[in-house]
Amino acid sequence: MTNKTDFYNRLNINTGASEQAIKKAYRLAVKKSHPDVNKNDGATQLFLDIQEAYKILSDPSKKGAYDEGREPLGTQSAVHIATEYSKDALTKLDEPQIIYALVDIVSTQTEKDTTDLPLNISFVLDNSTSMDGARLEVLKGATKEIIQELNDDDIISVISFNDRAKVLLSSQSQPPMAHVESNINSLFAEGGTEIYQGLEAAFEEIKKNSAFNYVNHIILITDGHTYGDEENCITLARSAAKLDIGISGLGIGIEWNDEFIDELCANTGGQCMFIQELDQVKNFLKQSITSLQEAYSRHILLEIIPAPGVKMLSAFRILPEALPLPTQEEFSLGILKKDKPHRILFEFLVNPIPEEIDQVVIASGAFFLKRKSRDFTIPFTLNRPIIAESEEFPPPPEEIFRAISHLTFYRLQEKAQKDVASGNPGTAFQRLINLSSHLMAKGEESLAKIAMNEADYIKSHNNFSPTGKKQLKYGTIRLMLPEKT
Amino acid sequence: MITCRVCNNQEYHGVFFCGECGSQLVLADDKNVNTFIYPSQARGLELDISNTIPKKLLENKTFILYYLEQKEVINIPDQNEFTIGRIVDGQVITPDVDLNPYKAFDKGVSRLHATIRISSEKNKIHVIDLGSANGSSVNGYDIPANSEVPLNHGDVLTLGKFSMKVILPKEMK
Repeated sequence: MTNKTDFYNRLNINTGASEQAIKKAYRLAVKKSHPDVNKNDGATQLFLDIQEAYKILSDPSKKGAYDEGREPLGTQSAVHIATEYSKDALTKLDEPQIIYALVDIVSTQTEKDTTDLPLNISFVLDNSTSMDGARLEVLKGATKEIIQELNDDDIISVISFNDRAKVLLSSQSQPPMAHVESNINSLFAEGGTEIYQGLEAAFEEIKKNSAFNYVNHIILITDGHTYGDEENCITLARSAAKLDIGISGLGIGIEWNDEFIDELCANTGGQCMFIQELDQVKNFLKQSITSLQEAYSRHILLEIIPAPGVKMLSAFRILPEALPLPTQEEFSLGILKKDKPHRILFEFLVNPIPEEIDQVVIASGAFFLKRKSRDFTIPFTLNRPIIAESEEFPPPPEEIFRAISHLTFYRLQEKAQKDVASGNPGTAFQRLINLSSHLMAKGEESLAKIAMNEADYIKSHNNFSPTGKKQLKYGTIRLMLPEKT
Repeated sequence: MITCRVCNNQEYHGVFFCGECGSQLVLADDKNVNTFIYPSQARGLELDISNTIPKKLLENKTFILYYLEQKEVINIPDQNEFTIGRIVDGQVITPDVDLNPYKAFDKGVSRLHATIRISSEKNKIHVIDLGSANGSSVNGYDIPANSEVPLNHGDVLTLGKFSMKVILPKEMK
């Protein structure tokens, strides 16, 4: 706490001190440090430093500007990184070995300014023919309700799309509800599904009002396959991520392309959900909005660079929403919520370690956090000491063991899908039987039964059932969350 | 490399679970499973045998394994952890409980098939399949190798095809 460049530290007060307290602290500090009293070297400089600090902190407008630009990291870190490893040390081996690292980043709220960030949000509604009937009606109702619940300073736009996009509500705050309702009510199902059309229109609307003190987000709701424009969509998602715009997706029913929507959302750090029951549409929208409203940082990026001789095999986000991350060196993680960590499980393959080294750097990286007008870089390094092979390890920490165990489930269903795709339904069958028994042993009875049923289905159909495939995938992803909600 | 004892898949050092079959490769306490009970009505294995066991056999015991086919209580040592299997000539590590007298070979029991662990403070009983050739199951549900699986009163523990009833005299009426 002796950072002499910080004005608050110079006066020995907290950031939240009142005007009165600042004045009092100033008098006290002056008394102690006045060159007439204090004969130590540097006393004059200390005295001048205190004068400078008081000059700023006693003037409300200058104090405000100083607080805004004050470095929240360092002594008064607003963001905290914690790491945990699957083992205390790497083993001296002449063959490659695996180590897992669990990295947490959490905002710790020591910063004074914790005001909420308003939303700049766009709803993208599928109104292709397949949405006809209950689906579209439920979606219309839920969207209207959610818009009504948004805050006055939130900026809202609504897009509908089939093979063409239509702006139902152009980007604005406090839209007149009568206008919103009549426009959404006028929506009916027709045409095909071209997701790019909808996304592009939403992107344009969001950009109109995109600003650093907003959380910019697109919510896509669809029930079908998009045709031929997947590449364009992914490119758009990447551009969106660069502008701090997140995308999350909701797939209704079983027809939609989960691989594609997952990839689309993952590119912006957003999440994709799957529902079978229509009454969950509103819940999904509500959860998405609530989650965005908790944002501390509108966007957070992670860069991770494995050290030479180390390969990153996989990365899986566990919190706030479970999400397999693309194995690349930089990715978007979406928003960072107040007091709620982002937790990422990394899997590294470490090549044999040269004799003379007793500490190995596994990877180095940084989180890039964007909050209001400021960008923060929070660097971190993953490293471990080396020990001789003969030494026994204590059991792995519970949290990381659990995460790896659940990652294994996700991987098994993923492999079973690959088995089927490569024409080995027999292997897939056996894998799902194994998965089922592991799930059962972990007390995941309902998911175990789904795996069992799916195994039987594959036996007779040589393929996954469309429902079971998605249930298993999103079910095993959901298991990754430490506390099931 | 580590070899998975269940499917012989090779994994790198430091891996906890076999990537092919999902079996646990290292022993670790997993607090997740302690509260779970395998559905006991599974696959028609439920049967009431409490009256067929002489009362005096139940005295001073916390845990009994009852061999269903021969209606016999299996002799188990009075210790907190023991292994079950069958003894073969020249075997280096022998199991604490030898099932040879019950024709265990024909039933597909491995030489070192499973460990039973009784944790005294929690009074919980777990079975760990030691990567046996023919696997184990509880109430007809296959259990993963090298993982602690809880045993409850009335469960049917099957090693290969050798089925035993788990009886906790304390919980008998």
